[in-house]
Amino acid sequence: MSGDHVARAEPLTVVAEERAEGEPETATRPGAPAPIADGGRKRGVAAANTAASALTHGHQSSATPPAVTLEGVRVTFGDHVAVRNVTLAIPARQVTALIGPSGCGKTTLLRAINRLHDHTGGRVEGSIKLGDIDVYGADTRPELIRRRIGMVFQRPNPFPAMSVFENVVSGLRFNGVHGRALLRDAAESALRHAALWDTVKDRLHQPALRLSGGQQQRLCIARALAVEPDVLLMDEPCSALDPIATAKIEDLITRLAADVTIVLVTHNMFQAARVSDQAAVFLLGEDRVGELVESGPTDELFNEPRNARTRDYVAGRVG
Amino acid sequence: MSVVSAVSRRELVRAAAQRSLTRRRVTGRIAQALCAVAALAAVAPLVALLYYTISRGAQVLSWSFLVNAPTPPGIPGGGISTAITGTAEIVGLALVIAIPTALLAALFLFERSGRLAAVLRFSADVLTGVPSIIIGIFAYALLVLPLHAFSDLAAAFALAVLMLPIMIRADEEAMRTIALDLWEAGIALGARRGRVARSVVLRGALPDLVTGNLLAIARAVGETAPLLFTLATPLAAMTLLIYTDGTQAFPIAQETAWGTALVLLAFVLLLSVAAKIAAWRISRRAR
Amino acid sequence: MSPDTTGVLPREGVEVGGVRAALLRTRAGRGEHVYTVVRWGGAGLFAVVVVALLISIAGSSGQALTHAGVGFLWSGTWNPAAGEYGAGILVVGTLLTTAVAMVIVVPIGLGTAAFLSELAPRWLAGPLSTLVGLLAAVPSIVVGLWGLIVLTPIFANQVEPFLASVPALGWLFRGEAYGPSILLASVVLAVMTLPTMVALSRTALAAVPVADREAALALGATRWQAVRRAVIPAARSGIQAAVTLAVGRAMGESIAVAMVIGNRPAIPSSLTAPGATLGSAIVNQFAEATPGIGTSSVIALGAVLLLLTVAVNAGGQALLRSGGGHRGGTAGALR
Repeated sequence: MSGDHVARAEPLTVVAEERAEGEPETATRPGAPAPIADGGRKRGVAAANTAASALTHGHQSSATPPAVTLEGVRVTFGDHVAVRNVTLAIPARQVTALIGPSGCGKTTLLRAINRLHDHTGGRVEGSIKLGDIDVYGADTRPELIRRRIGMVFQRPNPFPAMSVFENVVSGLRFNGVHGRALLRDAAESALRHAALWDTVKDRLHQPALRLSGGQQQRLCIARALAVEPDVLLMDEPCSALDPIATAKIEDLITRLAADVTIVLVTHNMFQAARVSDQAAVFLLGEDRVGELVESGPTDELFNEPRNARTRDYVAGRVG
Repeated sequence: MSVVSAVSRRELVRAAAQRSLTRRRVTGRIAQALCAVAALAAVAPLVALLYYTISRGAQVLSWSFLVNAPTPPGIPGGGISTAITGTAEIVGLALVIAIPTALLAALFLFERSGRLAAVLRFSADVLTGVPSIIIGIFAYALLVLPLHAFSDLAAAFALAVLMLPIMIRADEEAMRTIALDLWEAGIALGARRGRVARSVVLRGALPDLVTGNLLAIARAVGETAPLLFTLATPLAAMTLLIYTDGTQAFPIAQETAWGTALVLLAFVLLLSVAAKIAAWRISRRAR
Repeated sequence: MSPDTTGVLPREGVEVGGVRAALLRTRAGRGEHVYTVVRWGGAGLFAVVVVALLISIAGSSGQALTHAGVGFLWSGTWNPAAGEYGAGILVVGTLLTTAVAMVIVVPIGLGTAAFLSELAPRWLAGPLSTLVGLLAAVPSIVVGLWGLIVLTPIFANQVEPFLASVPALGWLFRGEAYGPSILLASVVLAVMTLPTMVALSRTALAAVPVADREAALALGATRWQAVRRAVIPAARSGIQAAVTLAVGRAMGESIAVAMVIGNRPAIPSSLTAPGATLGSAIVNQFAEATPGIGTSSVIALGAVLLLLTVAVNAGGQALLRSGGGHRGGTAGALR
């Protein structure tokens, strides 16, 4: 199927280059009293783009193409337009945050990326590309594209009738991967990546619902990671969790970005500042339709926003 | 200990996903088709029932069929009027017994939340599942045996007992969904409980009450077994008439059975549809 | 009677000034008393009815039970003409017809529910589910009439010979096939319990949060994979409740079964042979029962049926409640 042809070569050397050029990693401690955007994790690659300009920037490691490209995207439900005119490039292997007050179309846009609107009745216009592949192309298979674009939901939703292990490998099973040894291996790897292995390794076959909220969410992350996605969409993953669980997941997000591009929807500005490299601000237009107002590297956006509305939002004067 | 390195696991998953896709899709299509067939099989009996009842019943149906009283066998021109009026009387009597009792019991359950109420509620639920034949036997043992006589009253009593638990639960649900806030507001304003109930709760829950009761009535109209044990003659109710005539080998008797079945079916379906429309109207208004 | 049983007013000790006292005074009015009495009356009447039902049936069965002893329950012969009264064979018949009916109803019902709830296009699901629900409204006597007059010849002449020729399972259907049979009775039961199964299964499926299905889709599952692996397992307890309540209904159905089962209380040689169930025996024997022990035995059969169905229904209601907050109430009324 042509939908899955993109040769996703993984030259590990590129990553190494990036690290050498950029600033050393600073793992954030949540709650650090620094000015808003300072704690963000920076890398050598910074893809600065605004709604107006094309994808131009200075660094040579921009040779890495963006993981996801959106152009003129609009999502409509019947007569009601939920979000419009979104043009955005999501850089590979970084954390991009979609921020803004609730109701501005961030979640709707997120779900357009992995074609969940095929099942909700929303109509998606415009172009969404995963690398070179048109997500909504005529010969793109939704099942295959959804394997490559994973999703973590707002409330932890492990499959209730399955054990921890079965949950983690459920995606693999859906995709036709079998073999006990392989599944066990993949499960351990995914759980380690989600920082959950040590907690559950002795209770892999217990019902998944026995875990706490934060653990369940990490289980869902592990489940999404097990199918080796290129991109991970996260829809306010911490909103149903307590602060300690939230901190663990934020820490996890920054570490995961080394392997997987992350697009994070959050209405918590501080979380975005802590965790993301890029941010895109969504606000309600005058006709109550959500729109992308500005996007760019997180600290620029927070400290020197170009758009007046962004400035108001970031300063807490709106939303 | 890794069986497979990270990079090649990635490739493996990608390849497996792609390779299995056709099979997964085909399986899904087949399964969907089977489920559609099941749905068809679920609708087919209704279609068949309607078809046969209407086609055979219509042959006998006429104005005189409905309006004339039955005549002795062999004499033409008879009808089922006694059965129709009989059903109406018995059900009417049953309603007179059941509706108020159910309403009051539901108010009781609505207000109280103790152990007693829970037991009552549970027994009402269990009672809704008691086979109607048992209720017929009960009415027989209670009212027919001691008095040595069948009676319309016994039949009405049986139907009332049948409807009672259904109505109680439906009434209570209606009150709970609609009227809890109204009730508390009324009480908080200091009104007497009886007054609040009458003017506020019942009025607020009325549409839902009507719907729930309509369904119970539709059920009662169609019951045969309770009547088998309590009525003296099959001419006194439609369902019993269908049973007695339908099980005879004579074509004329069977024709009468079909005609009566058509009348009964029409009436019951009308009631059910009316209940559904009422429910639909209510939910629209609530929105 | 305590003045405040609703729990709406604050309890003793909380100061609300004179308001509480004033309200308590109001409660003591005569209209209030009448209302309370009347309410207790309604509930009391219901309670009395339930108790009376139990007592009268037990009492009237007494004669039969003292005659036959507890062996009544499983004695294998029911032959009133010969003075032998035993419910055992009838219990077997009830269980057999119910089991065969469930073999038909559970796959079709579940498949229909899955279709209506998950797989059908939206414009189709509504009207189709209304049609299925309408089947529940059809009186059992009409289904019985249709079974007796329409289905019996079809089954005797076409269906049963066909089934007897099916390779692996044909042996179930060999033998005399002149019409009324266990198989026919089971089919009629299936028609009558299908709406219950579909409605309750649909409720169970609908109760599964959308997020479960979306999680499966987000992993790359096909629609069917999501339904089969994520939605249906999550609805398991609701589906069990649906099956249990359908079983309860099937056991209790008597009129329609009596019309098509052939009224032969003996171990059937095949599914195409006539048989008898508790319900059908009650219907068929009642008119001819000799007063005294005959009638009492018929009533005793009713007692056995009551025990059976109450046990199953109580189990089903308990399952409904345990499956996440769904209150059992009106589900029982869904014929």
